[in-house]
Amino acid sequence: MKLIPGFKLIISVLTLILVQYSYASEDQCFNCHRDLEDNPSKLFVEDVHYKVGLSCSSCHGGNSNSDDMELAMNKSAGFIGVPSLNKISEACSKCHSDAVFMKKYNKNILTGQFEKLKTSVHGKLSVNGRGMMLQCTTCHNAHGIKKVTDSRSPVYPTNVPATCNKCHGDASFMQSYNPSLSVDQLTKYRTSVHGILNAKGNTKTAECASCHGSHDIFSAKDVRSKVYKLNIPNTCSQCHSNKDYMKDFPIPTDQFEKYQKSVHGVAVFEKQDLSAPVCNDCHGNHAATPPGIESISKVCGSCHALNAELFSASPHKKAFDEKKYPECETCHGNHEILIAKDKLIGVEEGAICLKCHAEDKNQKGYRVAKIMRSQIDSLMSLDIVAKNLIFQAEQKGMDVEEIKFKLREIHQARLETRTIVHSFNEAKFKEVTNKGFKASEMAITEAKASIDEFYFRRYGLVVALALITFLIVIIFLYIRKIEKTKSV
Amino acid sequence: MDQIGSNKPEKKDRRDFLKFLLSLGLTGFGVATIYPVISFLKPPKQAEVEVNSVVAGKLDDIKTGESKIIRFGNKPVIIIHTEDDKFRALSATCTHLDCTVQYKKDEKIIWCACHNGKYDLYGKNISGPPPRPLDKFKVVIKNDELIVSKEA
Amino acid sequence: MKNQIKKFYDWVDSRVQLGDLVAFMSKKYVPVHSRSIWYYFGGVSLFFFIIQVVTGILLLFYYKGSSDLAYESIRFIMSKVQFGWLIRSMHSWSANLFILSVFIHMFSVYFEKSYRKPREMTWISGMFMFVLALAFGFSGYLLPWNELAYFATKVGTDIVGAVPVVGEPLKYFLRGGDDVTGATLSRFFGFHVALFPGIFTFLLMLHLLLVQRQGMSEPMHLKIIAKAEKKTMPFFPNFMLRDLLLWLIVLNVLAILAVFFPAELGLKADPLASAPAGIQPEWYFLFMFQTLKFLPAHVWFIEGEVLGILLFGLAGLLWLLVPVWDRKSSRGQQNRWINYIGIFSVLFIIILTIIGWVLK
Repeated sequence: MKLIPGFKLIISVLTLILVQYSYASEDQCFNCHRDLEDNPSKLFVEDVHYKVGLSCSSCHGGNSNSDDMELAMNKSAGFIGVPSLNKISEACSKCHSDAVFMKKYNKNILTGQFEKLKTSVHGKLSVNGRGMMLQCTTCHNAHGIKKVTDSRSPVYPTNVPATCNKCHGDASFMQSYNPSLSVDQLTKYRTSVHGILNAKGNTKTAECASCHGSHDIFSAKDVRSKVYKLNIPNTCSQCHSNKDYMKDFPIPTDQFEKYQKSVHGVAVFEKQDLSAPVCNDCHGNHAATPPGIESISKVCGSCHALNAELFSASPHKKAFDEKKYPECETCHGNHEILIAKDKLIGVEEGAICLKCHAEDKNQKGYRVAKIMRSQIDSLMSLDIVAKNLIFQAEQKGMDVEEIKFKLREIHQARLETRTIVHSFNEAKFKEVTNKGFKASEMAITEAKASIDEFYFRRYGLVVALALITFLIVIIFLYIRKIEKTKSV
Repeated sequence: MDQIGSNKPEKKDRRDFLKFLLSLGLTGFGVATIYPVISFLKPPKQAEVEVNSVVAGKLDDIKTGESKIIRFGNKPVIIIHTEDDKFRALSATCTHLDCTVQYKKDEKIIWCACHNGKYDLYGKNISGPPPRPLDKFKVVIKNDELIVSKEA
Repeated sequence: MKNQIKKFYDWVDSRVQLGDLVAFMSKKYVPVHSRSIWYYFGGVSLFFFIIQVVTGILLLFYYKGSSDLAYESIRFIMSKVQFGWLIRSMHSWSANLFILSVFIHMFSVYFEKSYRKPREMTWISGMFMFVLALAFGFSGYLLPWNELAYFATKVGTDIVGAVPVVGEPLKYFLRGGDDVTGATLSRFFGFHVALFPGIFTFLLMLHLLLVQRQGMSEPMHLKIIAKAEKKTMPFFPNFMLRDLLLWLIVLNVLAILAVFFPAELGLKADPLASAPAGIQPEWYFLFMFQTLKFLPAHVWFIEGEVLGILLFGLAGLLWLLVPVWDRKSSRGQQNRWINYIGIFSVLFIIILTIIGWVLK
């Protein structure tokens, strides 16, 4: 080899030319189309697929090595032209659903998107009946696909709301699919804490995909959906309970923990009660904002109507508003709302009233609280006494059906006292408890009468016994008589 | 041996008196035993063990747009005389926490005072905490009387 | 009044010839001796049985034998039916007194050895009635369908199931299935008001017929006294009036018990609830139940419970056949062994019953 001088140089130049040539011939489709200056090729330059060396034929098929249109764009070479409908997503998933293949490019990239999309709500048939509602390109675009982490990508966190809104904000478009679904989510979202932060460029805050998912989106009525009623607390807490994630934001991260212990949490998690409130019932969903101090009783009152009404007419409303106390929350808490036990009321240790009322401070309220509690306790013990007496009478075999009916009235009065407390008005409260007292007195009297009647039977027995004893004595005498006159 | 037919008058008198007392005693005993047995066999007011139907009063007792709560066994039942002249009977026990419901004429609903539960006039729970509709009862008009019975 | 009765008597007599029967009846005599007081217990037992039949029929008018209505119907009888409480409480007390009375009657006959020839059949029929009385008690106890009744039946039928070979099928038959359910109630009701009364009546008729035919048995030591010198009393009217007197006293006692210690309602049976502590069978089964509890879990290779059941079965069989193996009494000879065995049995029953009660 050393025979030809400058051999090394010639080899390197030739290699260079060869490499250039082959590089240049790598994607003939792109070369041609770029020369045509068509849109796809303009966009494709910025495409992540171009950057990793994929050619047009990777999606469209055909022979990218040939610059002859007939040979390159030939069906026999696998050319599929412009794919339409499901063929689009199928083309994408050829690679993107192949885990082994994708590992070569990105160890962490997910590969189940197409499968998820097919079962999701967006995978349902489009109105034309020939393909899925959405294809990959609907959200990701076709030729200028950027990485999700690229701020120019339509699925970058700050761009997601606009992307979804393309369809979901279009009333006439949505009309063909779900006329009852609202189309103002984006507007609402922009008023929310999440929306405002998102508009400012914050990528940590929640956007559409954070709650609804990206490929696996289900209708909110679908039990598989991340925003199905019973799943919502978990969905919200994925960010809101993550201390690390939330360290940039000045709010607590214990809401979910507290909520789980609350009455509402127990109803949702243990009883699967769909009528119990979850995060969005009080905070709103797209316009998520915690209720303002003055409006808390209205929010709670959307279910607890009577209590809210009574509270608003009570002296506490003005007092709380002046002191900027958050209405219902002041006594009941917000996330950790526990069962309202009797001990919340009154002037004993553990009572909430003591927070503001004392014997020498806000005395009127102190007095009322004391009275309310003692009445509640009296009613409870009368209820127990009545129940015991009735049980006794029943076991003795007395008829207690009517008396048991009275017990319902006592039970009702006890339940109503819980509500009327919120009027914080002695007279109104006593109206309710008096109903209960009257009913329990009647029940106790009747039950006692029943038991007395039982004992009274014993006296009736004496009459019968006297008769029989009389007969016994007569017979005895008769026997004696007979045996005296007859020899035995 | 035997002194049957003895001539001693006092002895005879005493024996006759004894015999008289004996028959008196036996009769008394008979009454004391038969009386409870006869009373026992008389059908009690509530004829059957489980109450299956109750007479709720006369037709005119409940005017149009009015309601009445009656006792059915040990449960309350509310009877409503609707605007279109029909009688409807529903269980008056709220399905939330067992309070007794009432008819709200102005809102044309059945309402529970305890927690603001609302039912329509068919018993369907339409608002508030009640989780289930109210049980339905059958109302039959017989001889100007309203008879409420359990739904078949 | 007397004329009417005579007219009626003549009318029947001309058709059926009651003359022989009346002659037979008027000649009946009951021996009078130091132990003739025991003669009354047969009659007292009969009286209790009659009370059971009468109160039972009355209860049948209102009792409902299905598991969803049984308890409620008892409550109905106790609270809404006039004197229902009295009839039911009397039925409950009379059941217990009936069984007590037949125990006494049976033991008194045993100790008097009245089962000896010619009264073997009377003894056999009596023993079968005794077992039926216990069966009446067991089946009737379930009918109120309350907690105690349910679990007592469960435990009782479990013990039946422990009998080798026939135990399991018998238990399945008694329960109407694998567990105590409404099906058990149904068949126990059938046993209690139809099957057992039918068989019992037949045996009772036989028993009474034999007694009438053979007269009362006399203690053996009186055999040597001449007939003319024996103290007797005519059945009509003396013994009968005395019997009536006793029955009336017993009726008074029954009424007092029914009023002062009425039968309780209890809590409705709940098959899903766990058994309350200290479940026991009725007192007349207590001695057997307690014995089984005392036996060790295993004796040799046999399970203690099975051994206990078999021993009781064997004892019962030997007791039933006492006229067969007690040859001495049949020959008119005193048999001290019978007395010893009898005293042992009585003491055994009483002591174990007391232990069972106290250890509740």
